[in-house]
Amino acid sequence: MKLAELERYFAAVATSTSGPPADLEQVFKPSARLSARELMSIYNRGYHFRLLGALEAVFERTRRALGAAEFQRLGLAYVAEHPSEHPAVERVGRHFAEFLRARRACNDALADLAALEWARLCALVAPDPQRVLSASAVDPLTFPSAPLSFVPSLTVLSLQRAALTLFASNGDLSAALVESVPAHDIPAKCAVAVWRQRHAVKHEVLGELEHEALELARSGAPVSQFCALFAGGTDAEAAERAFGVVSTWFKREWIGK
Amino acid sequence: MAADFAEATTENFLGRGGRAHGVLARVRGEMDVALHGVSLSVGGLEPLNEQYLTELAALARQIEPLSISDHLCFGTFGGHYAHDLWPLPYTEEALEHVVQRVERVQARLGRQLLLENVSSYVEYRASTLSEWEFLAEVAERADAGILLDVNNVFVSARNHGFSPTAYLDGLPARRVQQMHLAGHSEAAGFLLDDHGSHVTSEVWQLFEHALARFGALPTIIEWDERVPGLAELEAEAELARAVARHGTSRAVQR
Repeated sequence: MKLAELERYFAAVATSTSGPPADLEQVFKPSARLSARELMSIYNRGYHFRLLGALEAVFERTRRALGAAEFQRLGLAYVAEHPSEHPAVERVGRHFAEFLRARRACNDALADLAALEWARLCALVAPDPQRVLSASAVDPLTFPSAPLSFVPSLTVLSLQRAALTLFASNGDLSAALVESVPAHDIPAKCAVAVWRQRHAVKHEVLGELEHEALELARSGAPVSQFCALFAGGTDAEAAERAFGVVSTWFKREWIGK
Repeated sequence: MAADFAEATTENFLGRGGRAHGVLARVRGEMDVALHGVSLSVGGLEPLNEQYLTELAALARQIEPLSISDHLCFGTFGGHYAHDLWPLPYTEEALEHVVQRVERVQARLGRQLLLENVSSYVEYRASTLSEWEFLAEVAERADAGILLDVNNVFVSARNHGFSPTAYLDGLPARRVQQMHLAGHSEAAGFLLDDHGSHVTSEVWQLFEHALARFGALPTIIEWDERVPGLAELEAEAELARAVARHGTSRAVQR
């Protein structure tokens, strides 16, 4: 066999979920104590459980909510369907939330919890902005006509409120049921911003109007355009509402350069 | 802290920001940092990951590492990453393939790459060279360095039944630039390189042989599992220094 065939053969055996091929002993040598089949099972087990371990580290709360055995079952099935595409092992979970949703293996809140955990990882490792802009650094003359530039870590998700409650309860389903009561002012489905402020990853529910303004701002609309969304009442009231939202974005260190 | 230099896993710092980079910069301010990768897949069939190399080159410009190393193995398949260090068949064809890729990596980075020998659990029937012959030839032909993992030599020697000292004696001394030590565990019928225990007395003895042959070199003791407290780690590092100073591990009783 040539190099290409040997490597493909090795990879197929090491990543297989259906057991080793019959001709394996012709390709690999046995050791003094183990057959080639037993030796290759070291690699097969190592491959699957290393990736499962990476999923467990990222989706800690999802694992707790699903239970260790169910998470392992789903995690191994996921790895078989979605081998890693990235040199960094923790990125193997890129499609995990969608996998859970598509499998209908768990309810949507659990899939949303996984999406939130994934977004938090992405925020954690996102590139640093060139610099974070403070409100005091803004030129008042050009600000209304300028688009805002957001830090790379900021992302917005649409999640079920129950996923946030599950996150807050560390994936404890029973605690989540109790804690869902005070969240009555948050809609059942809500927009959630996830970002990194300095070294801490944060997430926050966005109001409907703020979400709309943020999406407009992130699409490159100038400040005056998304601030117009806050119109209503007197000009001063509208300006105060818009100012309140935009100053929050500065405080959260979302605006970069 | 009783460390002479630090080793950073390359993939934990590529194309990302946040706390990890801050920590790396702070450590780099205090000591040399060696970049040690696990996903280059220098023996793989896939084209080298250009983005990976671009980011690695940028990181190297930023922190000016003591060295850049990765493993003599493959870890990619069909466009995917195994996140494992899969052994290569030691053939002339594989040798030519690896040499070309190492040369390409070194040209991209503008510096020498160190290649680490991996521990392995299986051998290909197709191999026509010993592992040390293969490693030595790659290093010589590609003008690369060797990061000699003494524990990996011991683990593979035990698993495959070759002499670990013959392995060390078969390497070109001038190519060996760094060393790794680690613990391993005894599994059912094989040794597992798990970095989860102290360096064993047999590996200390092999380290002694390596020191006699290659001289004292920057050496890391790797721990990934069941990491003990700092005092215990420092004591083990001090032991490695003592062995390097006195050229003997006879005092080691574990």
